[in-house]
Amino acid sequence: MDVYLQTLLSGLAIGGVYALIALGFSITFTTTKTLNFAQGEFIAFGAFIGVTMLLLLSGLASTTTAVPSEAASAWRYPAAVIGAGAVAGLMGILIFLLAVRPFAGKGGMNWVMSTLGFGVMLQSIGLAVWGPAPVMVPSPLGDDVLRIAGAGVRPQELLVLACAILIMAALDLVMRRSRIGKAMMAVAHSPQTASLMGINVSLVMIGAFALSSGLAGVAGVLIAPIASASLFMGMGFALKAFSAAIIGGLNNPRGCIYGGFILGVLESAVGLWQAQWREIVVFVLIILVLAFRPAGLFGQAAVDKV
Amino acid sequence: MTPKHTAVKAALLGSALAMSSAAYAQEIKIGFNGDLSASPSAQSGQAGVLGIQAAIEDINAAGGVLGRKLTLVVRDDLSQPPKSIQNMSDLIDNEKVVAVLGPTNSGNALAWKHIPNQKKNPSIGCIGSATDITKPASANAENYMYRVSMVDRAQVAGLIAYTKNNPITKNVGFLVETTGYGQGGLKDLQELAEAKSLKPVATEKFGVNDTDMTSQLNKLKSAGVDTVLVWAQGTPIGQLVRSMEKINYFPVTLTSWSSDNASFFDTAGKTLAEKPIFMRTITEDRTPKQQQLYDRLAPKMASKSAFSFAAHCYDALMITAAAIKQAGSTEGPKMREAFDNLQAPVEGIMKTYYKPFSATEHEALTAADYRWTRWKDGKLVTYTDDVVKALKPADFTQ
Repeated sequence: MDVYLQTLLSGLAIGGVYALIALGFSITFTTTKTLNFAQGEFIAFGAFIGVTMLLLLSGLASTTTAVPSEAASAWRYPAAVIGAGAVAGLMGILIFLLAVRPFAGKGGMNWVMSTLGFGVMLQSIGLAVWGPAPVMVPSPLGDDVLRIAGAGVRPQELLVLACAILIMAALDLVMRRSRIGKAMMAVAHSPQTASLMGINVSLVMIGAFALSSGLAGVAGVLIAPIASASLFMGMGFALKAFSAAIIGGLNNPRGCIYGGFILGVLESAVGLWQAQWREIVVFVLIILVLAFRPAGLFGQAAVDKV
Repeated sequence: MTPKHTAVKAALLGSALAMSSAAYAQEIKIGFNGDLSASPSAQSGQAGVLGIQAAIEDINAAGGVLGRKLTLVVRDDLSQPPKSIQNMSDLIDNEKVVAVLGPTNSGNALAWKHIPNQKKNPSIGCIGSATDITKPASANAENYMYRVSMVDRAQVAGLIAYTKNNPITKNVGFLVETTGYGQGGLKDLQELAEAKSLKPVATEKFGVNDTDMTSQLNKLKSAGVDTVLVWAQGTPIGQLVRSMEKINYFPVTLTSWSSDNASFFDTAGKTLAEKPIFMRTITEDRTPKQQQLYDRLAPKMASKSAFSFAAHCYDALMITAAAIKQAGSTEGPKMREAFDNLQAPVEGIMKTYYKPFSATEHEALTAADYRWTRWKDGKLVTYTDDVVKALKPADFTQ
């Protein structure tokens, strides 16, 4: 029994991370019909902004491969999370202005290449500043295993799960209830109409990219104590998160979140059977979803009214 | 052109050539080709270069070899195979080095091992551990690839010997990462286990970036595994022992030597880092000679756990110098003959080498030179127990 509970808990913990990043993909897709393919580099960049902030705020020196555990105590970790989110958000505005806006809404796929290129630049800058070695980041809640009905989980994993759910609930509320959210939905539906209704379309689009990139930065600092911060950490997570978004439905933020959790638990469960088949199972599921429900498990098929 | 002019020109050209070859004759160039900056293992390469430089200082202080001084030409391969191949040609053809030491990454040695053989220019590995690096291209082919370092297959032989001789071991499990490194280790594990009629009850795999291996561990647990043999890189082994803690399952854990990396220690944390037992060439309990070199290099070494590579590379250079001396020449084929049949013992940091190589044996260090190691209070110390004490050289057969 505790074997299955362990599988579920481990899966939800990693699924929360996927969900958070998948949500970022969904936000830019619904508002601008483009995706930020540098999302993975934003995760890694965010993690290192977090590392730098922890060290600066605590005044402690880092060894080459680890941040001392006192550096993450008290208010410093939340400050680093917010700081990384803000910096990544600003970078998100930059990527929109430089790499997406010139191409968005036009035919062709230029923005795919330009966002990928932006990611490569970001990674090269990161390598020059922080070097290639992974850095272990301490969890603000300590590292002792918590036992839940026989299954073990780290405090940081619960923190990631809690933060993911909290952020997603807040965003859901904003999107559905507030004027900003309604403006974003209007832009997603039709930029021309939204513009005629007096909505500042390009401001909404900038906001969407800032928000999506900020989420990636926050995710980076949240994952770092679990996976350790590395400039190569983001790619794997971003690919899984994108898969989660496809499974859940790219144009449905809630669906992306469900997709993230489904993927996390699925991976963990396949590990109970044959771990080396995990990626195959995941991508078979994606192919099945694309074949039978192209808009995702929770997406609504778009009906173009002419 | 008159005959007279030609004669003058020939004389001039001849003397110029003589001068340049005289300048060349003053020094014997040795090359180093390996990653010094790009990957986490770059620290191993940096330590290796420090070791070579120390050995060259010592030899030159004693008058050099064949009356000539040694110099080192260093090339960084940024851990990229194409760059590493290019460096080999540059070192051998342009710089005219007589031998190349390195590289840092096993994969790069595998990418260019045909070059030393084609150009008849010896290569002495002192960092990378992949088994196939020193294998000849075909059964009786001339082999210019030598090594003074760990060898994966010899480590696997050690782990299997420990498992086989441990009376409390009933059920063995293999756990490897899905990379080339992990799969190569699994192949060695399976072959050597079969040779010793050891049958694993479970074999599981995990990804190099995985952060939770509880599913795989739960499977081993339900199969009743009490001893697990792990072949993976440092960081995932760190994640593995963290996952062990989650489900409170701690079988006897024997791992590849990657557990000596700082990245393993940082990921696992101080307490959990003490779980795995592995093999390594040097521990913190250093011999006086090792301590001497350590004290000499410590101020310049970024990562103290990379000291073993400084020692290997120091010895590799010493053996190379001995081979040049015996050959009385820096010609590749003559050096190869000398390498394969070294008469005088070579005083090294790891040990004194008596005939370290032969025509068929190109490994200077074997399982008998390795030490059982584990982390204790943040240090790599020699590990011993009744099983280790009872192990005989015959148990390490490959």
